[in-house]
Amino acid sequence: MWAELVRYHALFDSAVLTGRDAAGYPFSVRCVPRPDAATRTLRLTLLDGTPLVPGPSSIIWHSHDEQLSSLRNMNLRGTLERDAAGWFLRPLQLLPLMGLGNPLAVLPFLIGAYRTTKRYLAKRGLPRPAIPWAKINEAKRHAEMAQRAR
Amino acid sequence: MQIQEKIRPQQAATRKQSWVDRLPAEVAAVLTEFRSAEVSTLAKDGTPIAWPMVVLYQPERGRFVTTTSIGLPQKAYNVRRDGRMSILYSNPTASGLTNPPAVLVQGDATAPDEVVTWNEDLRQLWSLLAVRQPGSNVYATNPLGRALMDWYYMRLLLIIVPRRILWWPDGDFSRAPREIEVGNVG
Repeated sequence: MWAELVRYHALFDSAVLTGRDAAGYPFSVRCVPRPDAATRTLRLTLLDGTPLVPGPSSIIWHSHDEQLSSLRNMNLRGTLERDAAGWFLRPLQLLPLMGLGNPLAVLPFLIGAYRTTKRYLAKRGLPRPAIPWAKINEAKRHAEMAQRAR
Repeated sequence: MQIQEKIRPQQAATRKQSWVDRLPAEVAAVLTEFRSAEVSTLAKDGTPIAWPMVVLYQPERGRFVTTTSIGLPQKAYNVRRDGRMSILYSNPTASGLTNPPAVLVQGDATAPDEVVTWNEDLRQLWSLLAVRQPGSNVYATNPLGRALMDWYYMRLLLIIVPRRILWWPDGDFSRAPREIEVGNVG
């Protein structure tokens, strides 16, 4: 996990750390994690007085282009900790990558989503709903025309 | 009793309006112009997990709406278990904004167990994506896309009522954020 994490981390300028505040709500900040090979942790510089509290946390690296395409995503679960040198995240689990590594990895993702859909409907005794393609495409056409008219 | 029932919606509307009106223009612009946001829910073990998502800001209703497919329902499951949620707007790519602030919305979410294929929220979402993510239009227009991706259009709504909004001017996280307390609206 560590080698993969360091390799793909290098492709991004920054990442988003999400921990929890004292009230238990998710609290996110953009930051620049620094891999520490000796301890296999990610060192973090956080603002003095940050409301983040030590505990379960995650870091997401992601990007998209001007057309919300070329999506790339890496999500790491871990624990946010603090020592004399400051804050760091101890990695626990790297979630499946998106847009990074093997392009065929999208296939299990799509197959999984298709199967989850079937299970979601079956568990509730619901028929597969018909998608109102005409309404969706009409809304899209209308939005595209409005955009061109600007 | 009748008077209270008449007053309550008015009070709620006034309170909702108050935080929307108090948002600085540059913060409101981020909420409408950013293409994606990091949306965080709490996993079963309490770990906050963020995913990049498209979020609708609905100031007239004092709320935010995002959606996920029933093929990827984990975010909705998380919200049904624990509604505490946050939305960070920190990636200005394609927003057209110059030195925008980064904005964090913390709030309480609901995720009704209802599979939605069409309503006003989805009309807004598909309209937005039509121009902001034109590559996705192909799924709905060709027969193969429809057959393979119909699951993507079976949606679960995540409705977020904010309790606190913070922002970092110029997106500079090395400085202390500014904040608007929203409180329990509605």
